[in-house]
Formats: sequence, structure tokens, C-alpha cells
Amino acid sequence: MNYARLISIAIVFSLFLIPSAPLTSQAYEDTQCFQCHTSAKKLIEATREIAKMRPALKSSEIEGEG
Amino acid sequence: MEPLAPHEKIFVDSEILDDENHGELACHECHGGNPDDPNWKTAHKGVVKDPTYPDATTACGDCHDEINEHYQKSLHVSLRPYRLIIEKRANPEAIISKKVAGAMNNHCFQCHSSCGQCHISRPDSVEGGFLDGHLFQRKPPMEEVCTACHGSRVHKEYFGEQEGTLPSIHRKKYMKCDKCHTGEEMHGDGKEYANRYEVENGPKCIACHEKIYDKEAKNVITHRIHKDKASCHVCHSQPYNNCSTCHVGKDKQGLAFYKTESSWFDFKIGLNPIQSEKRPEKFVTVRHNPVDPKLFDFYEKKALRSFNALPTWKLSTPHNIQLKTPQNASCNACHGNESLFLLDKDVVDKEKEANKGVIVPANLIPRKQKWQPK
Repeated sequence: MNYARLISIAIVFSLFLIPSAPLTSQAYEDTQCFQCHTSAKKLIEATREIAKMRPALKSSEIEGEG
Repeated sequence: MEPLAPHEKIFVDSEILDDENHGELACHECHGGNPDDPNWKTAHKGVVKDPTYPDATTACGDCHDEINEHYQKSLHVSLRPYRLIIEKRANPEAIISKKVAGAMNNHCFQCHSSCGQCHISRPDSVEGGFLDGHLFQRKPPMEEVCTACHGSRVHKEYFGEQEGTLPSIHRKKYMKCDKCHTGEEMHGDGKEYANRYEVENGPKCIACHEKIYDKEAKNVITHRIHKDKASCHVCHSQPYNNCSTCHVGKDKQGLAFYKTESSWFDFKIGLNPIQSEKRPEKFVTVRHNPVDPKLFDFYEKKALRSFNALPTWKLSTPHNIQLKTPQNASCNACHGNESLFLLDKDVVDKEKEANKGVIVPANLIPRKQKWQPK
């Protein structure tokens, strides 16, 4: 009886040793950042919208080798 | 280097979750923003595009503490040589100095690197974009990082892109930049160097070619005779790219621009302008740099009052090494061959004063030899 109790205590404790990373990664996977930045479709839509809102970031007057 | 579409630049590969070192970091832990906001416009409020520049302590330093200790002094981050060169040429009057600092900030200091701009994305100066879906690259890829910035000189030379030149022999042996330019060199060693040639853990030909002075080595006599007199490049490099002038300013939209004029491939041996214990050679290959007395005229006409304080032909280490070159075909291919040397006539009038320490006087050109090594 005591032997069985020891085994159950060991099992309960071993649960605390299982790494929590997969759960954490799952949590990150569910963020809006991850959902959008891993979707080419969503990024294409967003970058098209950005291109309409923002002017060019590079001067057209650049000439020659840098 | 293939250009990236705007969405490709920010596409994250979901494999990043499998990265045992970085996969447990949530996006917002480094970049900020609101990970719970479904509206991308408001979610990006406060987002930091590159959390590793100018200070990588929070993003990288906790784990990479050894690199974090020194990287601010890496020349790729500090850009100290730019600052020192301009300071030496600039007008020291406080009001002008301030304008020069502003101009340098708008132009020169935009070409820097950071942890992120080597290991995660292409550098900002070449319009950025993730290297491989934000997966962390232990070794930065050569063409998307190193030669993306060092393009007009190193890239063209190393890959033999100029007509009449061959790719470097090191390229033919599939060597990448990091074979000579180690991570230790790139990350800095905590010392503040005035130029890349001083860097203690920088590339050294002798590190691989350690036997060239041995009695049994091929061409040992030639190597021993020229040791500390001529740099390795004098005998082993091909013609390389030279650039002229540089003018900077801002366009009507307020965007910074630069204009350089002609560039040309040439080979010139000059007097070593920074002779030192580490670089004792008298003769070195010299390259014309893209600089001009009117560089900062857009900001201040009197900015570079002491332009002649430094040469416009600088010590150079072209990246197009060959075992056999026209100048090392025989002793007299170089000795007495005036066309290889930077002479007074090769330097434009307005730059003669600046280059007087680099121009080779006729009496210093090595004389033709009767004796030939066996």
C-alpha cells in the first residue's frame, strides 16, 4: 500500500517537471502579431494599404555608387 | 540580391516557434505593440522595428552577454572611422560643427548595422526585409547582408563582375566573408579603433598562408625580399573599383540623397598613408574614395575647411586576390613600371595637397632588376 502511494506521489511531482514551452509557444501562436505576420494574404492587403498611405521612403535623386 | 516584395519583407516563418532559443520569445517582448489588438494599425502603436539598434541590451544582451559587452564598439555599429575622418577635415567652429553633425546623421550614419540587421534581416540601408522569415541566422548570408552593403567595391571585386577581372581566388574556393572576417571581429573586442586596419582580430593573410616565409616554400625568396615592404595586395590583387566625389542633400520631400560621379576600375600602388607596426609596408594598393570638398555644401559651404588633412587615395585591401597577376609575372613587370604607381600626374590638381603623402615620387619607384629569382 505504501509502495503504491509513493508511486502516485512521484507521478504527481513529475508533472511539474514537464517543460511548459509548448504551451507558451501555443500562446504566442494565438497572438494577433503571429496570426497576421504568418499570413501572406493578410500581409499583402496590409502592405498595399500602407503603400497608399505613405509616400516613398527613398529619394529619387540618389545617383551613382554608394 | 533579389529584391523582396513589401509583404515578403515582414513575413514570419511559423517555424520560428521551433527555435529552442528564440521560439519562446513573444513578438511584443522585443518589438512592443499590442499583441491582443486585431486592428493592425492600432496594434503597431509603439512598435520598434529594430529593437537591437541603437541598444541591444534588452533584446539580446540578457542571453548574449559577452557580445553585448563589446558590440557598441564594433565598427559596424559605432562607425567611429567615419566620425574621425570627417572631424579631421571639418571646420571646428561650434556652429558649423553642429551642422556637420546633423549632415552626418542624415547621411553617413544611416549605413550602420546591428544584431538584427545581420542575423534577422537585411540591413536598413538596403531597404531591409527578413532574411528567412525572421528565423535567426547564426551566420549572416554573404550576399543579402555583407555584400548588400559592401556592394560597389567588395561585391564587384570578389565576384569578378567587372569586365576583364576574375573572381577572387578565395571565391573560387567557395570561401565566404566569415572565413576571414570572424564573428569576433564583427562583434568588436571592446577597443575603440580609428580604422578597420587597426582591428586586432581582423583578417590576416598570414593566418592561412603561414608557410610562405619557410625555407621550403614556393617563392620564398620573393616573399622574404618584399616582406614589410609591399603589402600582399600589391602583388596579388587585380584592378579594383575607385569612386569619385560625393554630394549629399535633401530633396523636395525632405528625403536624404547622395550623388557620386564616375567610378572606374584601376590598380595603383601608393605610399602607405597609415604605416604602423601592424601595417609596416611602405607600398600598398590605394583606392580613390567617394569624397569631395563640397560634400556637405547643402548644409554648410565651409564645412570641410581642412579637407586636405587626409588623402583621398586611401590604403585599400581589394577583395579580388589572384595567385598570378600581371604585376607579379616577373620582377620587372612591377619594378620600373611607372603605370602601376600613383604618380603626381594621376592626381587631380585640387587633391594634390591632400595626397602628397601617398603619391609615389619618381625616385622611389623600385628600379628595374637584372637579377631574377630562380
